[in-house]
Amino acid sequence: MDRIMIVEDDPKIYTLLKEQLEKYGYEAVVADDFDRIADQFTQIEPNLVLLDVNLPKFDGFYWCRQIRQISTCPILFISAREGKMEQVMALEHGADDYITKPFDYEIVMAKIASHLRRAYGSYAPKATERSLSLHGLTLLPERLEVSLADQSLELLRKESLLLEVLMERYPRVVSRDRILEKLWDENHFVDENTLNVYVTRLRKKLKDLGIEEAVETVRGAGYRLKVTWADVSS
Amino acid sequence: MRLFLRDHVPLMIILGLQIVITSIVYAFNDGSALSTISYVFIVSLFLLLVFLVYQYVTKRGFYARLSNPEASMEPIFTSKSRQFTPIEQALQDLLTDQFHFMQQELHQAENRMNRHVTFMNQWVHDMKTPLSVIHMTIQDEDEPIFDSIREETDRLTKGLETVLYMARLDSFEHDFYIEEVDLAQMMGQFVKQNKRLFIRSQVFPKIGIAENQTVVSDEKWLTFVFSQIINNAVKYSTGKSRTIEISASMEQEHLVVQVRDYGIGIPAHDVERVFEPYFTGDNGRQYPASTGMGLYLVHEICNRLGHRITVESEQGEGTSVRIYFTNTTEDDAYRRKE
Repeated sequence: MDRIMIVEDDPKIYTLLKEQLEKYGYEAVVADDFDRIADQFTQIEPNLVLLDVNLPKFDGFYWCRQIRQISTCPILFISAREGKMEQVMALEHGADDYITKPFDYEIVMAKIASHLRRAYGSYAPKATERSLSLHGLTLLPERLEVSLADQSLELLRKESLLLEVLMERYPRVVSRDRILEKLWDENHFVDENTLNVYVTRLRKKLKDLGIEEAVETVRGAGYRLKVTWADVSS
Repeated sequence: MRLFLRDHVPLMIILGLQIVITSIVYAFNDGSALSTISYVFIVSLFLLLVFLVYQYVTKRGFYARLSNPEASMEPIFTSKSRQFTPIEQALQDLLTDQFHFMQQELHQAENRMNRHVTFMNQWVHDMKTPLSVIHMTIQDEDEPIFDSIREETDRLTKGLETVLYMARLDSFEHDFYIEEVDLAQMMGQFVKQNKRLFIRSQVFPKIGIAENQTVVSDEKWLTFVFSQIINNAVKYSTGKSRTIEISASMEQEHLVVQVRDYGIGIPAHDVERVFEPYFTGDNGRQYPASTGMGLYLVHEICNRLGHRITVESEQGEGTSVRIYFTNTTEDDAYRRKE
């Protein structure tokens, strides 16, 4: 399991980060002695470091240099300063990436995953793969694969994202806005019509697994997943 | 010369009167001949003239300086070539004192200003921690109440950003970095980061910018400029139109980036004034949270970056904001930097 070291002095931020990292299957360790970050680094032996710039005593840049002397492990800065100069400085001090506050979890998780992959290769012992299960229906978001009983099916990326958010929120209704937000990326701005298309396609895919009418439209609110299939696994 | 004459008019009047009075007194005194009277008259007049000429010759420089003040105070204190008359010396000393005093004041004001900017910078960044905590805490919540909180935290973030850029505007020269900016990539990132704004307002961007289209500018400031413009476009489209168009095209030697919305538009009598600070106009009164600072900042930043910006609008039809980039003369931006 990949171990991530969090160096951040705000208790709420590191607690929330830790929870989120653990949800994604990482082991998260919070550094607590801001006098001896480098020593703690040697003890913890993390695969990746999340480092705040503003720290008591010495700043993040200082610790970044210290860590660089003993390790090549990926270091990601997390800072409220969004200036170009700070980013350039961070990179010059040996950091691999720079994330500005306030950040979306998705961005942090995506960056962590990509830096781990780059540093240790895709054959490196992978953290436990993320999987969602609901009443015998299993989604493996990283493989874009959904399975029920012994049957499994490939999904397209957007379909997988859509199913993921529906399963995560089950049994609650997921608002259209939230789904749209999940599906947006730099190149594809999903509007409501496109969303309808994705929903139709997902319904069709689920039908191939023998699941019908599981994605329910809630007028004026959004969509909801309904368990209409039999749990064969149990 | 004129100042000198004006300054000496009272003296000349007094002496003139004195001569006339003396002559009259002599005239009534029977013993005096006309020749004596004219003698006194001529001698007095001659003395006056000599005095005036002497005054003029010695103080010509002094009067010249008084009538044509230098733009800056500096050269006054460096010109030590001439001998000063006492009055001139006194004035010189007074001016020197005043100058040093004012300089001290200015220096203090500058220090205060710098401290203020530093404080604003620090404060805005400090405020981002609680904002981040709120943002992170509610990120996975989906109930309407959290949407509302998210909307407000987004507004707070935007507000803090505006404060930060406003405070930085004065130290602009030290705070920018000219490079080739990939427009399509920058817009893509911006749209992704602000997706909640678009989704919430149900206004969707259509981007017509060719891949690898670059402009020579500062990415950070330019992103801020577009963020203000696009925010306005979305705000004034909400409920009326569902798309805004962001496109780039060549116009003679300029690359023009246009943000076009089909929203409520700006009344004709307000269009001219949108770049004025604190100007909110009719639309500002209809929509809360208009500070009148957004477009003013945009205009100031564009000026400093050397980009021309124009606004065209028709009430009820929409608005288009255009920014003109000069890509061919790259050194233009550098020249500004120096």
